[in-house]
Amino acid sequence: MSNLGQFDTDFYQSNYTIDNQEQSCNDSNAYGNLYGSGKILLKFIFRAYILSLFFLFSELGINFDHIWQKTLTVLNPLKPADGSIMNETDLTGPVLFCVALGATLLLAGKVQFGYVYGISAIGCLGIHALLNLMSSSGVSCGCVASVLGYCLLPMVILSSFAIFFSLQDAFGIVSALVIIGWCSLSASKIFISALDMEGQQLLIAYPCALFYGLFALLTVF
Amino acid sequence: MDPVLLPGPQGPQIFTPIPSLSLASKLDNQERSSCLISIRPHEAAQRAFGESERRGYGLSLGLRSPRTHTGLPSLGKGPWFGLVLGVPVTYSGTYKPTGSKHRARAAPDPPPLFDDTSGAYSSQPGGYPAPGADVTFNVNHLLGDPMANMAMAYGSSIASHGKDMVHKELHRFVSVNKLKYFFAVDTAYVAKKLGLLVFPYTHQNWEVQYSRDVPLPPRQDLNAPDLYIPTMAFITYVLLAGMALGIQKRFSPEVLGLCASTALVWVVIEVLALLLGVYLATVRSDLSTFHLLAYSGYKYVGMILSVLTGLVFGSDGYYVAWAWTSSALMYFLVRSLRTAALGPDSVGGSAPRQRLQLYLTLGAAAFQPLIIYWLTFHLVR
Repeated sequence: MSNLGQFDTDFYQSNYTIDNQEQSCNDSNAYGNLYGSGKILLKFIFRAYILSLFFLFSELGINFDHIWQKTLTVLNPLKPADGSIMNETDLTGPVLFCVALGATLLLAGKVQFGYVYGISAIGCLGIHALLNLMSSSGVSCGCVASVLGYCLLPMVILSSFAIFFSLQDAFGIVSALVIIGWCSLSASKIFISALDMEGQQLLIAYPCALFYGLFALLTVF
Repeated sequence: MDPVLLPGPQGPQIFTPIPSLSLASKLDNQERSSCLISIRPHEAAQRAFGESERRGYGLSLGLRSPRTHTGLPSLGKGPWFGLVLGVPVTYSGTYKPTGSKHRARAAPDPPPLFDDTSGAYSSQPGGYPAPGADVTFNVNHLLGDPMANMAMAYGSSIASHGKDMVHKELHRFVSVNKLKYFFAVDTAYVAKKLGLLVFPYTHQNWEVQYSRDVPLPPRQDLNAPDLYIPTMAFITYVLLAGMALGIQKRFSPEVLGLCASTALVWVVIEVLALLLGVYLATVRSDLSTFHLLAYSGYKYVGMILSVLTGLVFGSDGYYVAWAWTSSALMYFLVRSLRTAALGPDSVGGSAPRQRLQLYLTLGAAAFQPLIIYWLTFHLVR
């Protein structure tokens, strides 16, 4: 949107020079006309900007509909997941959620971007290795990173709580545990349905719970 | 354009790309048409290069090594031609497909500077399987800086190459299929096994079951060892140690690393000692390294329980839990290893050998309480 601001000032600057150049008689009338046409021009520029953003995103392969669908799947851990949603490795949502987590931690006063990245990287590698060993079909590291990143969304909610009140009391610890359970349940649900492993949901949920527990440690303490 | 330092076949070399003005005069129509870049083996590129086993990206003109290069090491070829350029550039001088190249081909290749780890690649004469990207770039859409494009493509190809090298090295040391056997678990097995580790006294049948001389995976046989529980228990122990130290206000990330590496070193020592004992006692069994690793990793469950009890109930609770889990673990190990050491074809063996095996298992079992105490007492002080 900063670009839009630039457009704004540019527009107004050019408006001023045009105003200077044309020797118009009635100042207020000229201003009224210019403001009207200025609004239309502004709307047009805005629409062109949004359209170009849309083309850019589709060129980059960012599909907002899929991102929204996956987010909804995460937010409802009790609904059985569709196995095919993880077919394309989409890292946009996860990166967005990681940055959101870092931002909310920053708002809470903890500058811990490095820890977030480090834990994510190591945790992704570990769970990728474990899933490759436990499942009959292997997974790629990108798929694991994508699923883990999407299921980080409840943790963002927890850290946004941490901005307003401290989580070090009993309520905070209980809510942290609930959020960890939520994250790991949805992550294991997606992994189970994507990799077709039966009878192993709790076994997958446990390492995911450890992984998200590290994030919760960052958030709470 | 500036001269750029890039890795070449004999090390970093400086290449001076020449602006495309000279390009047009030196290209034939095929090469000009293949200026659209694609990361795929491109026949036009191969034709332009004049030999079938030229691996390269679709960009027929690229920064090529000087004419004097002969035997390129295979590692050098791959990422070398991974350079995807936004702007067609060429090296000074025309490229002669004949001449020095073919002479060099007749002579035996000089010993390659690197191992040819691109196993899949060398089997395909004309192709370089792209690292998962079948993308066609349009010249206009790339970043304005062609050096950045080159760096990006080079970096991605190096990354994929590194990944394959890691895989190959890993497969040389660790047989992934054998390892997968130990992770073929399910929730019911893990629950029952954890119960068995805490209370093994009522379990009757300790024999590992076989089907046609192949041991059954842990899913179907409760007595089979697995590596899921030890791994998870180890990680949980490390995290729990961090938490316990944090509660006592003695936490720092270095201490966590210290705890983790201490535990790991003790596991390694124990597994090596057991391997040595198994070797000396010439036990003819199928107790591989992973089996021993699994059995020595089961103590972490006892450690976690002791630490938890110690944190909740204080020092007395810790000692009670330590005593209980140690005795349970000792019983478990002795019963399991005695039947496991015999193997599927349980020939009696000579009496001294059997005694030796017994001493080995008893020694391993007696070692457990000591190490559990050593690794956990400082957490519940």
